[in-house]
Amino acid sequence: MILSLLLAFAGFSAFALSQDRHHRAVVRIPVSRSRIRGLRNAGWAGLGLSFLAAMASAGCSFGPVQWVGSLTGAALAVVGVIAFRPTSLRIIALAALPLAALIAPLALAS
Amino acid sequence: MSRPKSVRQSMAWLHTWSGLVVGWLLFAIFVTGTASYYRTAISHWMRPELSDTVSDPVAAASRAGTFLQKTMPAAAGWSIRLPTAENPTVEVYWWPNFGGPFHHALLDPATGERSTVRDTRGGDFLYRFHFELNMPPIWGRWIVSACAMVLLIALLSGIVIHRRIFADFFTFRRDRSAQRGWLDAHNVMGVLALPFHLMIVYTGLVTLSSMLMPWAVKTGYRGDIQRYYAEAGLMIAGRPVAGRPGTGLPLGEIVSRAIATTGEMPELVTVANPADAAATVTAYFEEPPGLAHLHPQIAYDAATGAELGRVGEAGAATRTGAVMVGLHEAHFAAAPLRFLFFLCGLMGAATVATGLVLWTVARAPKNVAPEGFGLRLVRILNLGTIAGLPAGLAAYFLANRLLPVALDVRAEWEVGAFFAVWVLAALASALYPRTRAWSFALAVPASAFLAIPVIDAITIGESRFIGFDVAMALLGLLLLLAARLASRRAWARRPIQEHLHMTAEA
Repeated sequence: MILSLLLAFAGFSAFALSQDRHHRAVVRIPVSRSRIRGLRNAGWAGLGLSFLAAMASAGCSFGPVQWVGSLTGAALAVVGVIAFRPTSLRIIALAALPLAALIAPLALAS
Repeated sequence: MSRPKSVRQSMAWLHTWSGLVVGWLLFAIFVTGTASYYRTAISHWMRPELSDTVSDPVAAASRAGTFLQKTMPAAAGWSIRLPTAENPTVEVYWWPNFGGPFHHALLDPATGERSTVRDTRGGDFLYRFHFELNMPPIWGRWIVSACAMVLLIALLSGIVIHRRIFADFFTFRRDRSAQRGWLDAHNVMGVLALPFHLMIVYTGLVTLSSMLMPWAVKTGYRGDIQRYYAEAGLMIAGRPVAGRPGTGLPLGEIVSRAIATTGEMPELVTVANPADAAATVTAYFEEPPGLAHLHPQIAYDAATGAELGRVGEAGAATRTGAVMVGLHEAHFAAAPLRFLFFLCGLMGAATVATGLVLWTVARAPKNVAPEGFGLRLVRILNLGTIAGLPAGLAAYFLANRLLPVALDVRAEWEVGAFFAVWVLAALASALYPRTRAWSFALAVPASAFLAIPVIDAITIGESRFIGFDVAMALLGLLLLLAARLASRRAWARRPIQEHLHMTAEA
């Protein structure tokens, strides 16, 4: 479930950054058109992988419950970071990815 | 309020007023329901005399049977919850007939006598308050159901009136006006946990559906509710009374048989008509892994120990209902997922609380103009509920540690402390100056929650309660943070520019 949370966090961070208001708050410059597309794709990929992680670790009946729960938890964390520490969103989101890769074998094996 | 015009405006009106009418009760329902995700942990903490060692359930069942035989041999029914690692006591109920009264005792599994553990309702009080509000059960359940239905209306109308669900998905502007900040907080808490909110209110209604909509069963089964339960795969059909006295085997004997046939430990054993020759013992098992909240059962003849029938696979409709109840109660959730359910519950309470506060902030008089009666009433009820209920909750836990263990009707005193502190905190909030009211009111539960680990360390001081104590300290810090934010908000008001800004945006 931690894996699912990390991936959802990274995905939601990408979605948030694809919005001009949050992009300005985090990176201090307006977001470009090509960047929006890239960030949105990254966002969908993050949420999709998070779903796969939840299904793989919790099975078909608990997986969706776990995924939806992870989405809520991760989105709340993204909102919190943007509101209180906007500039560190990128670093946390990027750090979440290698961490996810690191724990993936553990989470999926169990 | 002028007549509503567009659909969105009329929905906004509906959302505002439906939310206000039930908001205070809903907040209490959300908070106690959320706490119920940790019901066994709370009960455990509140009965510190119990050790974690599990005694032999087979012997414990026989001893409980002996106790009940002494207490009420001619009962209509007995029920015995067997000891587990999570809950090492034996809980027995007995009743002279189906209308009650239902007598209750907690037994020591090693002796089969009444437990000397401190008298407390533990987490069960919060759990029952969540759907019965400490009222006569039927009244409480109807009121809670009505609130749930209004909440469903408020949720759906809230979705309709929220113009920018995706555009404002991550937006929480705490550096702008008070109204903007509260609205953003309300939206974020509501939208991010929306799947949970919709699920919890709908499944909550399903849980109480047989009470809310009894007509199908009444018509189809002509009031024979037992036959409905049997046919729906929820229960094993009962046997008629033989009218001759009989003696049953020791209950432990039947428990051993149940373990031998299924390989699993029953969690509950009931005995119907224990003094009759046709006495029936039913063993209930823990729900199998899965989302559904269904308990397999096996019925035995009490005198011979022969198997009479069992409940296993349920039909599709029963299963659907069971999955909904299962999702609501989340018994299946292991620690991490349980924490997310807890978090979602807190977000539900926060959605209600921010909505209530928003109602007053949006109507607050400019500068020093006096507030009208209605506004003052809502503001004080908000303070009394949102800050008062947590204060009562902390008092409930503190009373558990501070009241003398041998006090008469001790459990009632604990509940009394909960309500007394809640009411006192609410009354006091009417006296706070308007601009500082929130920081004053929130400081009360904050300090009470922070006191819990200290008092626990002084009175009990056992390392196995560290998890609970840390959680209480964190709740205290969270409330302290809220008090601090509220006091900063009171000082840093920028009403005029902000007002212009908002009219420009609208």
